[in-house]
Amino acid sequence: MKFWEYLLRIDRRIVFLLVGLSVLIPLLFPFRIKTNVMPYTQKLFDVIETIDPENQGILISADYDPQTMPELHPMFIALLRHAFARRIPVLVMTSYIQGPGLAQQGLNQVTEEFNARAQTNQDSILYGRDYVFLGYPPLWLAAVLRMGSDISQAFPADYYKNRTASLEMMKKIKNYNDIGVIISIAGSAIPQSWVIYANTRFGVRVGSGATAVTAPDFYPFLQTGQMCGMIAGLKGASEYEYLVSTKYNLTGATPATRGMGSQSIAHLMILLLVIIGNIGYFATRRKK
Amino acid sequence: MQRTIPLMIVLIIGIAMLVQFFIPHRISKDIYMNFLDWLGIIASFALVLGLGSLINHHIDKIRRKKEHWQYSWVTLISIVVVAIIGLFGGMEGKGPLPVQFRLPIGDKILVVKYSIQTIYDNVMTPLGATMFALLAFFMASAAYRAFRARTLEATLLLVAAFIVMVGVVPLGYYISPKLPYLAQWIMDVPNTASKRGILFGVGLGVAATSLKIILGIERNWLGGGK
Repeated sequence: MKFWEYLLRIDRRIVFLLVGLSVLIPLLFPFRIKTNVMPYTQKLFDVIETIDPENQGILISADYDPQTMPELHPMFIALLRHAFARRIPVLVMTSYIQGPGLAQQGLNQVTEEFNARAQTNQDSILYGRDYVFLGYPPLWLAAVLRMGSDISQAFPADYYKNRTASLEMMKKIKNYNDIGVIISIAGSAIPQSWVIYANTRFGVRVGSGATAVTAPDFYPFLQTGQMCGMIAGLKGASEYEYLVSTKYNLTGATPATRGMGSQSIAHLMILLLVIIGNIGYFATRRKK
Repeated sequence: MQRTIPLMIVLIIGIAMLVQFFIPHRISKDIYMNFLDWLGIIASFALVLGLGSLINHHIDKIRRKKEHWQYSWVTLISIVVVAIIGLFGGMEGKGPLPVQFRLPIGDKILVVKYSIQTIYDNVMTPLGATMFALLAFFMASAAYRAFRARTLEATLLLVAAFIVMVGVVPLGYYISPKLPYLAQWIMDVPNTASKRGILFGVGLGVAATSLKIILGIERNWLGGGK
């Protein structure tokens, strides 16, 4: 009897310890699990594959903050690597006040990675020619709507205080007509707003990167085609990393893939705890 | 009069904003763009108002020595320090003030930067990530305590959660290659059906409330003053 009751009342500190160890041990002793790519991740990858770099760019909106960074930042990195590998012009912006710092980190990391390999000026990733960082607009919704007619009106200056219209890349990319896809990476309902204000109103394709918790919110939009693809959670990010690194033979860091071991074991640990709790519950109920 | 004028403004602008959606004429678009500019001005005032309110709240807390008043100093000092660095040091240390100083330590020089990006990388990012990481521990503890197959509905939820949790990690694929697709089906069909119902409900609610505000039936936004 006591044993079954114990199963029902394991101290929370032991639960915390078990979860902590299940995350920590795979990080200290990493093991690789080959990932299987799910359809919505593949769809987004395929959309970016179809963009003609001569005529269109992509807009990545880093709509996240440090709290959701572990899941979402790898997506941002993977998308940048994909775009730079294909030499697609990239516009980056953010709708979160805390977003610019992370976007800046990601842009620095990926441009350094590409430029370390570059042999010539043409191979390099240059600011203003290959990418532009628009930063954070104080009134996000107004900027989203304005960008439909003129991006440089919505952002007269970029993050570094350059006049947006004067940048080389912006001579080609004027408004949403020149954007192949907008990808909003967010831990909130922001991608839904991109669908409402950019896709519905201007017809530009919208994709999303979402945390595992918020991803279920976007399935209705994926089914209707209002969203053209989604990277869901750390697993989605690892799938995207896999797609990009295998197709373009890139050897940079793959943080999401590295985190998959921890996530797998942590999920199993939570399931094990739920099973133990239920065994205790049924055993004690029968006794009563 | 104090109530009539705001109500009239909401009625006229509310209808104008509705109409411009259906008339894609240049004039209508220009008016719309003007309103977007106004929105920016109003938001700037809201920001000042918010900041003033936050500072007042914490000054009041310190003055009255309310519970945990000491932490209000942390907030106020942080606001001032970050504002100074942001205004004069710039985001990346490219502002008018020098944003790094060099400390000679023996025969080496330690460079200390104090730009917004440095604060962000070393304070905001670790703090934010830690807060979110703690969630995993609380979720595990809550799932262990509360996730019981007490009823048929709870059992269904439990089974669905099991499939999704295993299906969304690569390990699930090795248990059975069909497991991720079963998890995907749960997300695609039952999840989407319920989400769609919620979305319709929310959409209709938003439309009804907006109409009530435009027509002056809903007046709570005017505040409780006379």
